[in-house]
Amino acid sequence: MKEISEKELKKLSIDELTHLFIDNINEQNLKLIEGIEFLVEEDFDNFTQNLNYVIETNTEVRVKKAFESKIFKSKLMFSKADRLKLFNKINDIKNIGEFSANKMLLYRVVFPDEEFKLRILNILKSLKLISKQLTDAIKFIGSDLTKAHDVCENIKDKRRKMRIEEWQLLNILYNYDMDYLSRTFLYLKELIEGVMMLADHIKSFAEYIQFLATKYLIFD
Amino acid sequence: MAGDLTSILVIILIVLAISLAFSIGANDETLSSLVGAGVLKFKVALLIGGIAVGAGMFSFSFSFVAKTVGADLLGEGLTYTDFMLLTVLISSIIWLVIGSFAGIPLSSTHSLIGSIVGVVIVYSFSQGGVNPETAFNWVKLNNVILSWFLSPLFGLIVTFMLFKLISKTYLSRLKGLNQIEKSEKYFKWLLLSAVIFAEIWVGANSGEALGILYGLLDNGSLNIEQYLFFAFICGISSCLGIYFAARYVIRNLASQMIDSRPSEGLIIQLSSALILMIATLLSLPISHSHVIVFCIIGMSLSQKKEVKYKELGKMGVYWILTFPIAATLAGFLYFGFNLFGLT
Repeated sequence: MKEISEKELKKLSIDELTHLFIDNINEQNLKLIEGIEFLVEEDFDNFTQNLNYVIETNTEVRVKKAFESKIFKSKLMFSKADRLKLFNKINDIKNIGEFSANKMLLYRVVFPDEEFKLRILNILKSLKLISKQLTDAIKFIGSDLTKAHDVCENIKDKRRKMRIEEWQLLNILYNYDMDYLSRTFLYLKELIEGVMMLADHIKSFAEYIQFLATKYLIFD
Repeated sequence: MAGDLTSILVIILIVLAISLAFSIGANDETLSSLVGAGVLKFKVALLIGGIAVGAGMFSFSFSFVAKTVGADLLGEGLTYTDFMLLTVLISSIIWLVIGSFAGIPLSSTHSLIGSIVGVVIVYSFSQGGVNPETAFNWVKLNNVILSWFLSPLFGLIVTFMLFKLISKTYLSRLKGLNQIEKSEKYFKWLLLSAVIFAEIWVGANSGEALGILYGLLDNGSLNIEQYLFFAFICGISSCLGIYFAARYVIRNLASQMIDSRPSEGLIIQLSSALILMIATLLSLPISHSHVIVFCIIGMSLSQKKEVKYKELGKMGVYWILTFPIAATLAGFLYFGFNLFGLT
């Protein structure tokens, strides 16, 4: 992500700061997903590099500080609290991502078979998509809440499908002939849960955006 | 001696009327939406609102609602005695205080008119030569009571239709949050105008204090210059009531309105102001709080939001009971005065 100076940050509006923030967080999210894909391909160096990037990056902190100093002084009329909540929800994505990354770095796992790898790559593909869609939805809030609402509906549909894939994957995992207390089993189980935790947060974020659309839009 | 007593009574009535004007200001929450929207600094809003109420009260003091309350409700040739006016004031104050302690929202207008009816009924029976059937101007009284039912209803209808019109022609075309925020910034200045307009008519329709003074003018206890002077004082008193006493209620309500849109506040205030204006020009004293409640209901219905009918029903019961209870209380009080020869 291109570095922005403090001076340039101060010139940005609340909306622009929010967009910059979600772009930052989305980039880190994609790095995390890419990292897990490297893990599936057993490219452990790139996996570690990507996850360390997610953990160590704090470029978004400056954006967050600029936003916080601006929001309380802003002359926004009634959407101040909602915009702040929106920003904090974006921040939560970073926190979940960082937490998952730290957990994943605890152990170097080898996946059981190709079918398992394929299925997890499918889920990761869906996660990438909904992460990108969420970024678009957030950017639509300022200009077109109806579009944001529709994008969020797609996110919810996708997440429902991911949930079905998750159960199928867990079903396969539980049917492997392996010790349930083994690090491999626990790691894979938590990997799936970590991915779905991020997906669930994105889904709940999408629902919040839909709530905003219903709150602010006046229908004929 | 009797002359001294009359003078003292007149002074007491004037002081009570001025205090009543203060309490009208103190109970006025019209500025809440303006303060909630952050249009003006808090104290500036209070000052402007107070001046508007005071100006409205004084500007319409010589006729309209004050005349209805102070003279026109009575039958031909009848005027209030000073003790009748005192009883009306005491009775309505007692009922309003009971309501405040019990947490029941009551209308001062209904309480006052109810007290007048109770007092006049007892007066007509206790005084020889006054036919109870002609003690009232029944046409006027019926119109006043009818307006208490029609004014909230019209408030609801006007708000509903106004919102539908504005949403169809403008609000529904706003798509993004930035656009909505920007348009609401313009609405907040319109809200300021609407609130000032509303406050003028709130003052103009507040017949309680000026009605008492008009009664004193009508029975000869005050001359026209004195009446106008005390009406002016009442205007200032209501302004001070808003500035010093209403601020707590307004600040409390405003904090609950931070998320409400100026466009909604504008529609509600404009509708209630229109109803108050029409009622004032027709010389009908109505309850501002009832009108506002129904305007808010009209807004909720137009947006297909939930309306708490159960709570509304409860409020409705108190509204309906205020008139007969105030009348009964005033009747008993005046009867008590009569027993001591104070008529």
